[in-house]
Amino acid sequence: MSGTDHGPDPEEPEPTVRLPALDTEPADRLTKTATEPAEPSGALRYAPAAGEPGAVRAGRFWSGRRIPSAITAAVALGLSGLFLYDVAAVRADRDAMAWRKTLADELATRHLDNVWIIVGAAVAAALGLWLIVLAVTPGERGVLPMTRRDPRGVRAGLDRHAAELVLRDRAMEVAGVRWTRVAVGRRRISARATSHFRDLDDVRRDLTTALGDAVGQLGLAKTPNLRVHVQRAEKKA
Amino acid sequence: MRTTLNRVLLGLIGLVLLVVGLSVLVGSLDMQRHWDFTMPGWWPFTGPKDVLLTAHSRTRYRSDGWWWPVVIAVLGILLLIALWWLFAQARSRRLRQLRVDSGDGQGALLRGRALESVLASESEADDGVEWAGARLVAKRGGPEARLVLGLEPHATPRDVVAGLDAAVLERARTSAGLDELPAEARLRAVRHRATRVS
Repeated sequence: MSGTDHGPDPEEPEPTVRLPALDTEPADRLTKTATEPAEPSGALRYAPAAGEPGAVRAGRFWSGRRIPSAITAAVALGLSGLFLYDVAAVRADRDAMAWRKTLADELATRHLDNVWIIVGAAVAAALGLWLIVLAVTPGERGVLPMTRRDPRGVRAGLDRHAAELVLRDRAMEVAGVRWTRVAVGRRRISARATSHFRDLDDVRRDLTTALGDAVGQLGLAKTPNLRVHVQRAEKKA
Repeated sequence: MRTTLNRVLLGLIGLVLLVVGLSVLVGSLDMQRHWDFTMPGWWPFTGPKDVLLTAHSRTRYRSDGWWWPVVIAVLGILLLIALWWLFAQARSRRLRQLRVDSGDGQGALLRGRALESVLASESEADDGVEWAGARLVAKRGGPEARLVLGLEPHATPRDVVAGLDAAVLERARTSAGLDELPAEARLRAVRHRATRVS
């Protein structure tokens, strides 16, 4: 490992307190800036990042939710800016904009059973529910987490579409398969194929074995269930 | 970090919208009478003949001296938070440089982009990888690598990841003198036709 190549320099002031025998590697972690104190590596390694479950267990990938946040922030920015501008303008002895007068008037006169109020409230509630769902669900449903052998290893995720292509290539290698389509879900993989020669049962058995091996070679953290359907290809007219 | 921030703010805003929407609906559809429950006395929307904001409650504090400064201050704070949140989405925490301890007491500065391009080209040299992109991100504990790999036809994802672990990242760690280099990799598809080998 890198740490064994160069021991800590005794002349250099070392800001790190070394932990005895806890970690065999030297604790002189290099950080991107010299001003940041280095930390003992052992504790840091196992700290799960924000929103991510523990280190070795291959957890889901959590989406950063950048686009919904950007949209929400932009809307909030626009609304608060508009109100701020208008309130400040009125304070500076100018006339309020027409929309604000209308809004105040409508808010004060429309009854709650007005259809616009009901629709607006329903939309607000639905939007709120949607934002809460966005906030608490991991997202990134297109990425399947792969197994991670040790905590220092790479945290890899395989796109479902990539898995589909890999499995399709494997299925096409089976003798007797003319056409195939593989759909990779989060929990289930279903492969459909048509066969133009050989006994259907043989093709199905070979395909199931081949795809079973291929699914193993995907290296996914949770192996999905595999379903194979084989049909006789229609004779060309 | 940004993920947590985004999710907390989205959740809060969602909660506010949900509560406001539902409480208006309770009044609109007259649920208190239909389902026979009573809201506490301070509840603003009691029946379908209520309005959202009466002229009286809108202008109630207008004569007080503190009202307009408070309104403007609250709006201004909201504006600043929204602006900061929006810019936080555009910010990238890309690592510009990192210090390599050469062991003789003198450090060397390594440009983040140099390490990124090494990571990318070494990943591309790996078996089963058609193209690769790499990013180094500054995290609290040090740099973190983000890789995106396009899988060649007939690649084995498990072996690709094993190769990354064994060769690419290990070498990057060693050459940059890093104790550890946490890495995330996404394996993408490269579109290709289905071909029969035989």
